Amino acid sequence: MTLAGIARAVITFVVLVLLHFTLRPLLGWRAPIDFLLLAVLTSAVRVRPAGAVVIGFLVGLVADSLAPDTLGAGALAMLFVAYLASWLKAVFFADSLPLNAMFFFVGKWLFDIIYFIAEHRLSGIDLVQQLVLWSPLSAAATAIAGVLVLVMMRPFLEPSQA
Amino acid sequence: MARLGRSNNRLDSTVLVACAILSLLALVLPTQAREPIASVLRRGLLAPMLLLQQRAEEGRRALTSHEAMVSQRDSVAWRAMGVAALQSENTRLRNILGLGSRLQWGFIPAEALHGRGIRDEFGVTLSAGSLAGVQKLSPVVAPEGLVGVVDNVDPSISHAMVWTHPDFRVSAMSQDASAFGIVQAHVESGPGRYLMEMRGVPFRTSIKPGTLIVSSGLGGVYPRGIPIGRVLAETKTAETWARTYLIRPAVFPADVYAIMILRPDRASAGVDNVWVTGMIADSSVRKIVVAGDSLARTAALAEATARQAAQDSVTRDSLRRAGVPEQLIVAPDTATRVRRPIVRPDSTRSDSARRDSVRRTPARRDTLAVPHRP
Repeated sequence: MTLAGIARAVITFVVLVLLHFTLRPLLGWRAPIDFLLLAVLTSAVRVRPAGAVVIGFLVGLVADSLAPDTLGAGALAMLFVAYLASWLKAVFFADSLPLNAMFFFVGKWLFDIIYFIAEHRLSGIDLVQQLVLWSPLSAAATAIAGVLVLVMMRPFLEPSQA
Repeated sequence: MARLGRSNNRLDSTVLVACAILSLLALVLPTQAREPIASVLRRGLLAPMLLLQQRAEEGRRALTSHEAMVSQRDSVAWRAMGVAALQSENTRLRNILGLGSRLQWGFIPAEALHGRGIRDEFGVTLSAGSLAGVQKLSPVVAPEGLVGVVDNVDPSISHAMVWTHPDFRVSAMSQDASAFGIVQAHVESGPGRYLMEMRGVPFRTSIKPGTLIVSSGLGGVYPRGIPIGRVLAETKTAETWARTYLIRPAVFPADVYAIMILRPDRASAGVDNVWVTGMIADSSVRKIVVAGDSLARTAALAEATARQAAQDSVTRDSLRRAGVPEQLIVAPDTATRVRRPIVRPDSTRSDSARRDSVRRTPARRDTLAVPHRP
């Protein structure tokens, strides 16, 4: 990856992190868009699995600091999702929007499954309701937002080789 | 090359395992150990982000509460719009209650039900009929004065011809009974059609504008003393042997909702003092209010005078302590007016000295009021 490519990836990451702390609370949806996960996924596909793991771990740990009782759960979920994203992208590389949407959807859902199981806060019917109802909804919203971000930032992320 | 790939894979796996172990360690750490780590992260990396999040949440709250606030403001405005109508209705009801208490007996309270037809400006439907004791040709009155006369009676409702009807006539007189005439609607197409006219006033009699016109009691339908209106001006007509006056009506039928129907026995007994008493009561209330105002004004003046005297006394004492000769200390109110503590000795007039002594009295009273402590 060139220096310009790294700079563009960092800018995209920062924009998504900013959206997570501005647009998400402004929308206030019950099934929120996870811009942090989008930031991690868009970064993870551009680095090696080890780098993706580190990014995922750090972002998850920082996000966990808002809820110290579950410190580590988000980090664990995020590093696994980032690792899988980086590994899958290397194996099945394809740049199509539906595939990316599916990628974001599965990534968010998997993140929620690992997170809610690791944090031990929800159990029984609440956990099932969260993982079967709200997590897929949130994953769908995240996937749509991710696709929109990709569409809007594609010229920026992948400039034409003129 | 293959060795490099294997090495990279090993590195990836090592990093993954290491980070996973760290995450699990963070999960199983005791609360006392977690909080410092979380606190460092929050204060360092997350602080600006949390500030952004706080602003965003405030913005969202503002957006969501805006609708509630607009709704609240609208409901308050809607209620405020109804306050004037409620006050007006309250005044009307108080007036009708006052009229009822003055009449004491022989009346039937009813609602005037206004229609919206063309002929409705000449009559109103009343919510009381023959079952309530209403009879044909019963006078219909409001707290302000005469409204009309009942011309049709059904068991539960009745109909009244109001004074705007072209056929309406009432024998009238000035309040001091110096002039008599017949009052009817002023038939005109312009704004004047909302006025009355008093016809047949003898030529030798002149009525001043503003004079109250009341029913005279002649004719046997309307008892004497019901206010009809006030004289506006004399108007010229073809009749040269009598004067005609324009009357501003006491009652506008369109504004009347609660009325009283006088029973024939009450009408024959007379209502001479009913409206006069009401007017006297109103003027008495006005006089009491004015008297109250003047008392308050007097009290305020007395208080201001006492304060001024006390201040003057302090000023004089300080001048004496400063060694200013007694004859150079001017009367305090003069000194205050010109804002000079020392003036020429010849400006000390006998009247200002008197005022001084007069105003010193409350100050001395205050001094005496302070308990002496040895």
